[in-house]
Amino acid sequence: MSREDITLLKESLGKEELLRTLDDGEYAKTGFNYRSQATHDAIPAIAQIYLDRGYFLEMLTCLDRLADDEIFRLVYAFNRFDRCERHALDIDLKPTQAVATISQIHRSANWFEREVCEMFGVHFDGHQNLKRLLLPEDTDFHPLLKDFGRIEDAP
Amino acid sequence: MKPRKDAAALLDGETYFLNMGPQHPSMHGVLRLLLRLSGERILECEPVIGYAHRAHEKMAENRNYQMFLPNTSRVDYLGGMIYNLAYCQAIEKMLEIEVPERAEYIRVIVSELNRISSHLLWFGTFLLDLGGITPFLYTFDDREEILNILDRVTGSRLTYSYGRFGGVTQDVDQEFLSMSTAFIKRLRTHFSEYHKLVTGNVIFQGRCRGVGVISPDMARTYGVTGPCLRASGIPYDIRKAEPYGIYDRFDFDVATRNEGDNFARYEVRLDEMEQSCRIIEQAIANIPEGPIMPAKPKKRFKIPAGECYFAVESPRGLMGYYIVADGSDIPSRIKLRTPSFSNLSSMVEVLADTMVADTIAILGSIDLILPEVDR
Amino acid sequence: MPTPTPTTIHDLLGNTWLVLLVATAGIMAFLTVNTLFLVWLERKVSARMQNRLGPTEVGPAGLVQTIADMLKLISKQLITPRLADKPIYHLAPWLIFLPILAAVSLFPFSESYVLHDLNVGLILVFAFAGLTILAIFMAGWGSNNKYALLGAMRSVAQNIAYEIPLMLAALAVTMHAQTMSLRGIVEAQADLPYIFVQPLAFVIYFISGLAETNRAPFDIPEAESELIAGFHTEYSGMRFAMFFFAEYSNMFIVCMVATTLFLGGWHGPFGLPGPVWFFLKVYGLILLMMWFRWTFPRLRFDQLMSFAWKILIPLALFNLLLTAFIMKVVA
Repeated sequence: MSREDITLLKESLGKEELLRTLDDGEYAKTGFNYRSQATHDAIPAIAQIYLDRGYFLEMLTCLDRLADDEIFRLVYAFNRFDRCERHALDIDLKPTQAVATISQIHRSANWFEREVCEMFGVHFDGHQNLKRLLLPEDTDFHPLLKDFGRIEDAP
Repeated sequence: MKPRKDAAALLDGETYFLNMGPQHPSMHGVLRLLLRLSGERILECEPVIGYAHRAHEKMAENRNYQMFLPNTSRVDYLGGMIYNLAYCQAIEKMLEIEVPERAEYIRVIVSELNRISSHLLWFGTFLLDLGGITPFLYTFDDREEILNILDRVTGSRLTYSYGRFGGVTQDVDQEFLSMSTAFIKRLRTHFSEYHKLVTGNVIFQGRCRGVGVISPDMARTYGVTGPCLRASGIPYDIRKAEPYGIYDRFDFDVATRNEGDNFARYEVRLDEMEQSCRIIEQAIANIPEGPIMPAKPKKRFKIPAGECYFAVESPRGLMGYYIVADGSDIPSRIKLRTPSFSNLSSMVEVLADTMVADTIAILGSIDLILPEVDR
Repeated sequence: MPTPTPTTIHDLLGNTWLVLLVATAGIMAFLTVNTLFLVWLERKVSARMQNRLGPTEVGPAGLVQTIADMLKLISKQLITPRLADKPIYHLAPWLIFLPILAAVSLFPFSESYVLHDLNVGLILVFAFAGLTILAIFMAGWGSNNKYALLGAMRSVAQNIAYEIPLMLAALAVTMHAQTMSLRGIVEAQADLPYIFVQPLAFVIYFISGLAETNRAPFDIPEAESELIAGFHTEYSGMRFAMFFFAEYSNMFIVCMVATTLFLGGWHGPFGLPGPVWFFLKVYGLILLMMWFRWTFPRLRFDQLMSFAWKILIPLALFNLLLTAFIMKVVA
């Protein structure tokens, strides 16, 4: 990633040191070249920068860390077509906190966000069609939460 | 289903709703398309998915790492070998397990055979959707040969659990290699038949040229990958961009076209089959003797806390495993990034101004596997 | 050599009603056997083209397969959609093949075998064929089903569009034969079949005939992968069998007209009886139709329509003009 890109991203992330360049060893283990963390309101600006710089949204998912840290962690992965440069962006959310949508910027996020919303209950502000994607329309539970559907609870 | 909020405004007598699917005689699987039409022109298209949702990601959190192996093939049953081996490679990456050379070569051969069989099936079903019923039977004949070859070695025809963490489970014999060589030779003669029967046909070209164009910008915004992306002019192939296994040792080209229409995607896939043949030949020529599993294979797989994202090139595009481990032998989270999910989401825009008769052709040309979309 | 006087059935039986009864029964039997055979032939031909075997179990080489299928269809429950327009819905399957019965009675199978030799036989055949369009639309409308209606509308548009080049091509032949009587046209080909004189007209006629019978590559109205089954989606059991029956009989009629107009009818180079030659030629054309079906993908509907209006009709008109020019100026 170029120097000015890194600077730009750092500025929008709001915190200086949080865009970490991962060395080759860590890339070999985790598959990411860069790691960063951001707050929930910074994500649209960051997504716009990535779009303008020629990245695509490879993946958007959520991790349920309510038991350990009482947060939901959203993981965004951006990558490029012309060289392999995978950026991981973590956003930690409190249980009822919502995050801004990036579905107007990266259209692939439309369905990724719908899936995260139905599976974990995370709300995306500004998303135009946040209804159930894979589950039936009237589902009122969130299956991928750790305390849902545990084998121990089965009758 | 609750009626749409804008239903009253839409019932203006000019447009009507047509529901395609989820049960439909065409070949694209359990997909439901809600189309708002004006005459034959589509104004709005809303894909409704989830009919094949089997909760693989939830299953992953309730099984240990080895027990999840059979699940991987079933996510995309046409690229089952590639998915299966990709999962093994992701775990090997996290645990830093060295895979013996012979196993790597075997993995390449069976993966590329799997890719060819997936493209052959796509070819047949694409033509079937367009109304040319005969090529389907021919490609299935070729595909049958691949399934026989893989059956001999893995024991399964369609969904394989052939990979293990560190290698593969069964060694291949000389018979396998000679059958594969003979098959490649036979397939190459059939390519010219397929080209004669289909590629030059005026009706086929009329249905495919200029139809369903995906522009490169649209592809990037929607996260489209695989042959759909390469047909729009962007030569992105994980085997070249981020080589995994031993793919950097093989000499093959990335098939690309520029038009982005159905015909371009068709040609890209046919070229890819040819490139896969090249890779298989090189692998068969260079496969070394040796073990197929590490000398001291681990029996228990407890992965220390951490995460890994591993991407491979499946026949449909970029397939990624995102595995989050927490130190136990059960994954904390496995996210499957499947190519058809993003490819299908681009259909909302591509189908928005086409004719309803083109819908089937366009959906056929982007090679969807609904179980992969729904997981 | 003088033309033998045709012995009409009237002379044999005397009573007109008896004639009608015998004729109808005879034609029905003939068409039924013909359809049974054609369905089997289609399945065998398609199977062999696709590296498969086709029906082999029921009867020798699977010949009894179609009868087994008919028995199955007869035994199925006749489901009528609740909101279907009952009179139209029920009338459509009958209306689609009754005109074909009438059309068959006009054809000359040899110099002496012709049921009705009218001097406007050709026009009458086309008129009867046009009635089937009405039946198709009735089926689509009466089913109260969006898919069926779409299929029916497409079918009607397609049939109307392709009727024009069909008749223009036939008209070119009429200009040569100087008569519209089917028997007269065949007799005029005693020296040379018209396919050598009017090759363009034959091609136009054959393509239009494919479109008239909704055969691939023009089978959008019945395209399985697009509209389930088109205009006959809501018909089950015996009613579906009648549509199927009508399609194959229609195919037969189109090939009979082609044989009569272009291939010389009952004439042949050496001494086989007339009807044998006639049927050989008709079945040859039917095999050609089947070959096309299993080779080509189908045309999209607007491509189909623009092909008819922008290519076939101008070509057919050009052919007429050329024929007229050559006949007036050269001959």
